[in-house]
Amino acid sequence: MKATLLASLLVGTTLFTAVPAFAQSGEVNIYSYREQALLQPLLDGFAEETGIRANVLYAGDGLLERLEAEGELSPADVVLTVDIGNLVGAEERGLTQPITTDALERVPAAFRDSDGAWTALSLRARVFYVSKDRVDAETLTYADLATEEWDGRICTRPGDHVYNIGLIAQRIAATGLEETREWLTAVRDNLAFAPTGNDRGQVKSILDGTCDLAIVNTYYMGAMLNNEAEPEQKDWANAARIVYPDAEGEGTQVNVAGGFIAAHAPNAANANALIEYLLSDEAQQIYADTNYEYPVVPSVSPAELTLSWGTLNASQIPLEEVAAHRAEAAQLVDELRFNEGPQD
Amino acid sequence: MGLPVLWLAAGAIDAALAGSNGLSATMLPTALRETALLMAWVGAITSVLGLVSAWLVTHYSFPLRRLFEWALILPLAVPTYLAAYTYVEFLDFTGPIQQAVRALTGAATLRDYWFPNIRTNTGAAIVLSLVLYPYVYVACRAFFLMQSASLNIAARTLGASGLRTFFSITLPLSRPAIVVGATLAMMEVVNDLGAVQYFGVNSLTAIIYSTWINRGNFGGAAQLAVTIVLIIGVLILAEQWARRNRVYLSSRDSRVPPVREALRGARAWGAFGFCALLLVAGFGIPFGQLTYSALRTLRPEAVALTISAGVPTIMLGCVGGLLTVAIGLFAARQSNGPGGPVPRGAIRLATLGYAIPGTVLALGLLQPLGLADLWINRATMAAFDWRPGLILSGSMIALCYVYAIRFLAVSHSTLDAAMRKRGRSMLDAGSVLGASRWRLLWRIDLPTLSPAILSAATLVFVEIVKELPATLLLRPLGIDTLATVVFARANVSLFAEAALPALAIVLIGLIPVVLATRPGIGRKV
Repeated sequence: MKATLLASLLVGTTLFTAVPAFAQSGEVNIYSYREQALLQPLLDGFAEETGIRANVLYAGDGLLERLEAEGELSPADVVLTVDIGNLVGAEERGLTQPITTDALERVPAAFRDSDGAWTALSLRARVFYVSKDRVDAETLTYADLATEEWDGRICTRPGDHVYNIGLIAQRIAATGLEETREWLTAVRDNLAFAPTGNDRGQVKSILDGTCDLAIVNTYYMGAMLNNEAEPEQKDWANAARIVYPDAEGEGTQVNVAGGFIAAHAPNAANANALIEYLLSDEAQQIYADTNYEYPVVPSVSPAELTLSWGTLNASQIPLEEVAAHRAEAAQLVDELRFNEGPQD
Repeated sequence: MGLPVLWLAAGAIDAALAGSNGLSATMLPTALRETALLMAWVGAITSVLGLVSAWLVTHYSFPLRRLFEWALILPLAVPTYLAAYTYVEFLDFTGPIQQAVRALTGAATLRDYWFPNIRTNTGAAIVLSLVLYPYVYVACRAFFLMQSASLNIAARTLGASGLRTFFSITLPLSRPAIVVGATLAMMEVVNDLGAVQYFGVNSLTAIIYSTWINRGNFGGAAQLAVTIVLIIGVLILAEQWARRNRVYLSSRDSRVPPVREALRGARAWGAFGFCALLLVAGFGIPFGQLTYSALRTLRPEAVALTISAGVPTIMLGCVGGLLTVAIGLFAARQSNGPGGPVPRGAIRLATLGYAIPGTVLALGLLQPLGLADLWINRATMAAFDWRPGLILSGSMIALCYVYAIRFLAVSHSTLDAAMRKRGRSMLDAGSVLGASRWRLLWRIDLPTLSPAILSAATLVFVEIVKELPATLLLRPLGIDTLATVVFARANVSLFAEAALPALAIVLIGLIPVVLATRPGIGRKV
């Protein structure tokens, strides 16, 4: 407690100075969208191995907009974020520089940029959470969501959230724009209610009986089952089980958490060292165990809890290709007025 | 204030010229409809709640009336986003009401019983109205206290019932006060980001946010932002039209103090019940739910989180508050003085900044501040071979700038009122004796206005503590305030973890309410 107070007072005194221009060697500056609970163990490991100290600025929405506005003055070396849209968006806006570490080879080609502008650091699958009580199906496909059987039973967060844009873009990459338009229209009309809230909230709707199938990312199951601060979330999670869509066919859609090196990074060498460490077996294991995500390096195993939900057969469509359809996906969501819910 | 708006207008035109306005075409109708609907509902509900409660406490006496008279403004301490979070917790499947329903009926899931879904446009309108009605209440109450009772007395003498008097005299006369209050409530609706996101309402502000942040489409967001500024312009015109009437009404001096009719029996309890329900719904439930959640999740982490977010919040509130009050004092001296370098029209325009949503200000400021930083650094590099870094966009200066824009009206109106009341005689005497402008400021303005300065600073401080959207988007990276901590947690369904910081916001919000109850209410509007 005392430490926190001291730390916040220190933060307080620097409030009105500029972002400290910490460009010395032996340091690396991180802009992170990822939370401290996950990042701290990784950075501790990094410091131990390389002696490089990491300065982290934890930020929320709008991280890329900030980076863009800061331009060449930005102190950021490495940016850690989630979602393929943010990674590709950073590249498109010229906010990246090529990652040069050989460790990049550890990442399957589908999950990194072909020019090294960004790389995935962990994977998360966008899967179905179905009611244990009201759903019997053991195998399902994304296409099933459009069938009569699911009328009034599906729930998801708003369609323009990056996770859903990622899913819809992947459908376009897999089946084409027209088929996806029909599919999304049917899914919209099968929704139990107009999309609202976040991923965990959808699982709660399974518990309360208003929804039978929620489209949610995998790791939330682990986060809810282990939530000691709000133990009632364990009940939410226990009402549902995970079904991996298209597990036997083309594979389940995966999205990524990843990182890139900032275009104007003052410590590019250290930035590469950090990426190299984050792709090491040790760091990949931390991703798997702390956050119940899938390691992006195939030789590292997911957490036991994660494995208990089933086997991930990830879609092999390169993420670059998926990302190319994001604009169309967003357009579809608007055009179909997906966020207004069923319209039949 | 002009900078962000002009920047957005340029961005909007730029995007339109580039032909990328497909977005406005698809999203604008929805956004306009949902925003209009929400504003209309909030305007209507706050008008009814505020008017009726103000009418009751000024025209009648009933049990606990004196308590209600000040307590009815308590909901102002609850920011709209907290109202949304707490009401969802309260009415949700796992909240106390539905638990009770299930316990009584033996039902297991929502398939077995019907319960209204609060996460809708209507739900949002009701919840927002419950914490925004005090704007109308304060305006109407002040109006009733100012208004001569003679008309009412005349009507009653002629045999009209209390209700008839209300509909044929009170209601038409108080229309300007209602419009003033309801306009302020509706502006809060336009400004709100946290609540509409949580309720899933696709309001203009929510869509501006997602267009900019989720889709990285600055041009599209700028187009929507320009639309919102135009809508606000219309609202302001309506509000000023109403204020004009109010000046006329308050200038008559044939005043008969209002006589309170004592209510008895069922009618007394009816009045009591109405006020009590309103108070419970607007303050009791949010505050109770917060306290409950905070106690339930009271762990060292929660305390640490509150402290680490609270320290920067308070610092921002103090510095931003002082700055805004200093500018307000300057502006008030200008508008009350013999005329200075700044024309009065410009000051009036500057005080309109309170009407521009924080999201829009952030959208319009981020890029120009970044550019300014770049120019400053290039200049210092050329002159001194030294780069100061991100002195504007990377520090709290950006935020203080936004706060000054948004809350100048609060400090200016408070100080302006105090200066009018004090008059000019002392200043004139000082000038005649040859004192300089600075000496007048130091020896006369600061000492005589110190209570007003203090209350203006308090009001701005609280507004800054409650402010969410601009702080969210412009805060120095790595710094969290109470409001942004609560927002981030609530958005990943971890609101209970942030209940303690949220409670801190409400407790800080209570400060001006408590202060205002001493010299009499009505400062806020």
